[in-house]
Amino acid sequence: MISPFLAAAVALAIAFIIAYWVTRRRLEAVRAELAAATDRAAVSSDSDLAAMARLSALLDALPVGVIVIDDDARVVAFNAGATEILGVQAERPVGRALIESVRSYDLDRRLLAALREGVEGTADVPLHAASDRNLRITTKAVHAADGSTEAIAIVEDLTRVRDLEAMRRDFVSNVSHELRTPLSAMKIMIETLQSGAGGEAAAGFLRSLAAETDRMVVLVEDLLDLARLESGKLDMRFGSVDLVELCRDVVASHLPRARRLGISLLATLPDGKVTIIGDRDKLVQVMVNLLDNALRHTPSGGHIDAGLSSAPGLATLYVKDDGPGIPYDALPHIFERFYVVDQSRSRSAGGTGLGLAIVKHIVEAHGGSVTVESELNRGTTFRCTFSI
Amino acid sequence: MARENFHRILNETQQDVLRMGSLVEEAITKAVDALARSDIALAEEILNFDDYIDDLNVRIETNCLNLLALQQPMASDLRTIAAMLDIIIDLERIGDHACDIAQITKHLANEPQLKPMIDIPRMAARAREMLREALDAFANRDATAAHRIPAKDDEVDRLYRTVFKELIEFMAKDPKAINRGSNLILVALYLERIADHATNVCERVAYMVEGVPKKLKRSVVEINDVAAHGDELIRAARVEGATGAP
Ligand SMILES: Nc1ncnc2c1ncn2[C@@H]1O[C@H](COP(=O)(O)OP(=O)(O)O)[C@@H](O)[C@H]1O
Ligand SMILES: [Mg+2]
Repeated sequence: MISPFLAAAVALAIAFIIAYWVTRRRLEAVRAELAAATDRAAVSSDSDLAAMARLSALLDALPVGVIVIDDDARVVAFNAGATEILGVQAERPVGRALIESVRSYDLDRRLLAALREGVEGTADVPLHAASDRNLRITTKAVHAADGSTEAIAIVEDLTRVRDLEAMRRDFVSNVSHELRTPLSAMKIMIETLQSGAGGEAAAGFLRSLAAETDRMVVLVEDLLDLARLESGKLDMRFGSVDLVELCRDVVASHLPRARRLGISLLATLPDGKVTIIGDRDKLVQVMVNLLDNALRHTPSGGHIDAGLSSAPGLATLYVKDDGPGIPYDALPHIFERFYVVDQSRSRSAGGTGLGLAIVKHIVEAHGGSVTVESELNRGTTFRCTFSI
Repeated sequence: MARENFHRILNETQQDVLRMGSLVEEAITKAVDALARSDIALAEEILNFDDYIDDLNVRIETNCLNLLALQQPMASDLRTIAAMLDIIIDLERIGDHACDIAQITKHLANEPQLKPMIDIPRMAARAREMLREALDAFANRDATAAHRIPAKDDEVDRLYRTVFKELIEFMAKDPKAINRGSNLILVALYLERIADHATNVCERVAYMVEGVPKKLKRSVVEINDVAAHGDELIRAARVEGATGAP
């Protein structure tokens, strides 16, 4: 009886390792790309003003800090990324020694070592000066054709990565908690059954056991799906899908639950068929996740309208509710994985913060886009638009 | 030494002062982090910092003395050199206080926290901010900023009083808290001193830029005042304890 849960726990662990791996790999790829780009940029820099302007525009567009110092250890380039990451004041640091504008002993030391001794490398360095950040600094010496030497530092802000890791840790502990709580309850019920409980009590226990198992299966499946989606390993089985029929089916399967919750649920559908190329099961999952959210957040007496609208060349699946809405400042985040608006409320309602992340992945894997519109106390509408 | 060389060395020495300042700033941050987390390894790291700080100190001092001895610097350069010689003394002291805090961290690492530390990190942040701005004022030769910054000392002093009062209350209630409490009072005192040293730096910067030797307006914590208040609290706690007994 216990082994399925053990399996679930193992699956969970694997899902995490995959997700973690993928994020790491992606970061490394970005880093390599940037290093290559800055290499090219440094080579093409000469006294030509237009080229300089182009170079500085290019540097400013990079999402990392780039600092270049000349033979005399004066700053000759300091891009927008560096300004932001290092939190320097408005006076531009160009033309001065680096330590005069960026008070980081380590950064200064490493850049000078690259310039004077050719010591290059990458190091993680905390920056305390203007803001507490974790930086990754890569320093390189650049030898120009005229025999002069410059040194370049690429500064990445690891604070976000660190925050992400913290978020992941939080999530792991939340999930573990969510798995452990029902598991303990289930264990007690099982032990009671084993010790010979029977009749009505036994039937009740079995019902609870079944419900808890379902919930945990959903959680683990969501995690696995997300991990597969994020690593691009989820194979889509594309075929021709009629969105009208799909929407009708999903709504129909949720009618009993809506009735139980005292929510009016209806489907607004066009006549005939609206067909796209897609993975039917995955698209069902999109509708299920959106409907599930609407049902969970809309109070009894509310209304949910799920349907399909089409314009030439486009088909839009939507789920509209007149529930509590989503706070304005939370809106940009709700598609992030693990993000839930109200920790306590969502969690007690069985939420994991994975639903919308999965929706977004699936819709985008179909070349579509998902949008949300919400007003506090008025309701929320999610729209997934696909080209036909 | 050619004139050109003189200015090169003068510039580099000014940069070294900023380097020393950066190290000292980092030392304060790490010292308080280590304390808040009872992190002995981090505390040890700060004790090593001291060597770098000392090296820079020696280099700056030597350069300044050479500049003074080998050239007759003009008025404004002379003031810069004099200011640097003063500023590094303050920076050194700040570094020493960071080490003092690190020592206390090691000493207290195995004792339970009295309560979550809030005001001490806040004090540290303020003191650090003052130091950072003082160094900015030095780097930018900004006399206006140098005059403005010392006012922030009031906030540090206010926090000091709060911390002091709170810790005395703890110790009065529970003798087991005395070791930790009294050490934390020392930490707060060091942080208060650090803010004072930052004020000194501002004074030197103002003098360097304006050429007018003047004490900037500053506030001083009346330690006696607070100590007397502490006695009062202890007495009050005793009385409470006595009447509270069955
Ligand atoms: N229809 C809705 N009405 C109000 N809030 C919603 C709605 N749909 C989603 N949300 C908010 O967005 C968050 C993220 O949703 P989701 O990714 O599905 O996670 P979960 O449902 O597991 O909490 C939810 O926690 C909820 O606060
Ligand atoms: Mg959901």
